[in-house]
Amino acid sequence: MVVFTKEAIEKTLVEIVEDLIQDWGIDPDDGITGTTLLVNDLDFASVDIIQLCVAIEQHYDRKIGFQDLLMKDGSYVSDLSIAQMVDFLVDRI
Amino acid sequence: MSTRTLFIGMDGATFKILDDLTNTTEDKQPVMPFLSSIYEEGVRSKLLSTPNPLTPPAWVSLMTGRSPGNHGIFDFIRAEERGNDIFFTLYDSRDSKAETIWSIASRQGKRIAALNFPFTAPPQKDLNGFMVPGFIPWRHLRRNTTPSDFYDRLKVLPEFNPKELAWDFEKEKQAVSDLSDKDRENWVRYHLPRDRQWFRIAEYLLVEETPDLMAVMFDGVDKLQHQAWLFLDPSLQTGEVSEYHQRMRKLCMDYFRQLDGFIEKLINAAGPDVQVFMASDHGFTATYEIVRINAYLHKKGYLNWKLMPDTEEAARREESMFANLDWKNTTAYCRTPSSNGITIRVARNSSETGIKPEDYETFREQLIRDLEELRDPETEERIITGIFKREEIFPGPAMKDAPDLLLVLRDFGFVSIKDKEPIVEQRVEVAGTHHPDGVFFAYGPGIKQGEIIDRRNIADVGATLLYSLGLEVPSDFEGQVPESIFTEQHLAKNPVVIGAATTFQAKDEQPESMSEDEKDKLMAQLKMLGYME
Repeated sequence: MVVFTKEAIEKTLVEIVEDLIQDWGIDPDDGITGTTLLVNDLDFASVDIIQLCVAIEQHYDRKIGFQDLLMKDGSYVSDLSIAQMVDFLVDRI
Repeated sequence: MSTRTLFIGMDGATFKILDDLTNTTEDKQPVMPFLSSIYEEGVRSKLLSTPNPLTPPAWVSLMTGRSPGNHGIFDFIRAEERGNDIFFTLYDSRDSKAETIWSIASRQGKRIAALNFPFTAPPQKDLNGFMVPGFIPWRHLRRNTTPSDFYDRLKVLPEFNPKELAWDFEKEKQAVSDLSDKDRENWVRYHLPRDRQWFRIAEYLLVEETPDLMAVMFDGVDKLQHQAWLFLDPSLQTGEVSEYHQRMRKLCMDYFRQLDGFIEKLINAAGPDVQVFMASDHGFTATYEIVRINAYLHKKGYLNWKLMPDTEEAARREESMFANLDWKNTTAYCRTPSSNGITIRVARNSSETGIKPEDYETFREQLIRDLEELRDPETEERIITGIFKREEIFPGPAMKDAPDLLLVLRDFGFVSIKDKEPIVEQRVEVAGTHHPDGVFFAYGPGIKQGEIIDRRNIADVGATLLYSLGLEVPSDFEGQVPESIFTEQHLAKNPVVIGAATTFQAKDEQPESMSEDEKDKLMAQLKMLGYME
């Protein structure tokens, strides 16, 4: 059975995000870290978040059910940090 | 080797417009002279779209030869019930439960190229050829293009511009929005270079790669017709018109003239041996009124609006294309304007809101009666002329994801889901909306000339493309090859063969995508409907 550590998941997520934004003309000052915010720092729109979720699901070859991350108390979250996504993935994978 | 089959998709193309643009009169030449020659030298028919004549289900039916109840794509937006909340997201290729013709041809050794088709992203891994998906923002084209190095090849093509080529979600909302005259003019101008980008890639692939099946879809036709129907419909070009009207009409003609040139160049690039097929996913007609269906359901006590704070974010949510309701106090609602459907909320357990499963049938019958009673106050004519139960029009394993009722409005328009009165309102000016009758053309060696055949079904196109490639038609295809378009000699030499069923497997299907509760709910509904003991 493959074990996914938090560190491994974070590394994977950062690589996926870097791959995703390579043509966007965005170059975050400190690179992509746990505190990087998708909307505020990387200019993600809602459709970009959906595409990121698809890319993650493709990487892990499974549906992950991101609705529990993207929706809180009946409303869609306004932004997400890399660390929040990692914590969610640790819980789900 | 040369390309054997060329498919050109024209989203929303209708004979109402094409007949006019291909017509030669004493005082005018046709706007689309090449298409006019295909009228003479090929076969054409109306093409019946899916029950809801909408881009997502219709193109997927064309690509899979299956109906929406089998492939499972019903709309742009997919909804997931989460207890007392509903999560909305976008459908993608993984949600389709049927194998595409791209995959079927690939696994039988044919090289394919498919450009700008919706719900082809993320791409399948087993494709033998090239795919650039449609309806994907430019930022995500690289990841979703096949093969993985093809995007870099595209980047060095002269004048390649991904921002011009790809779908822009913010802009696309304009297709069904009220626009100022200036914005509407810009909207039409925006689609000229966009289609040109897709044409250049198609031409490049035809020349450089000669795939067995070359397929490209131009979606500007649909976008123009939504906003510029007033300037296109020949029956509306009478009397004196404004300078703006004349300018818009000319701009629209420029678009269709350009499209005609693309068709001609692609066919010429493919060579004289190619069989050419062209189709639209649905037709078009005029809509003259707005029907606010959720406002009507609210009036009838089926739904309650969600109270929103007075913030910019809340205003944005209110303007979005999916319903924002007080779910606990809602039993029936329309999710999106494009769905033209009503979803009934059925409680999956005692802690959830919604109607009880055992009340479903009675509830739905009452809902139908209420919908029938939405009438024109002056003429007493029904506003909703068709109300279809999902088991009637979406039979198949994916039916559970379909709306419980599908509505057809008297002018074929899409419903509005806004919290606004009046419930039925005349539009200031007519707009374009989808109609079930699209177009189908066939042209080339082995195809009859100058004939019009009876209306075919959109699922027939996928079967026809496989047949044209020399492949068997899978036995589980609902689409059939329209044999009457081919010459007797061609059919004698190339009989239609029905072969093994498709090999689709839902690789990404996980238990969580259908919870036990959802299964119970489905079982209860199936029992109620008499499908199960």
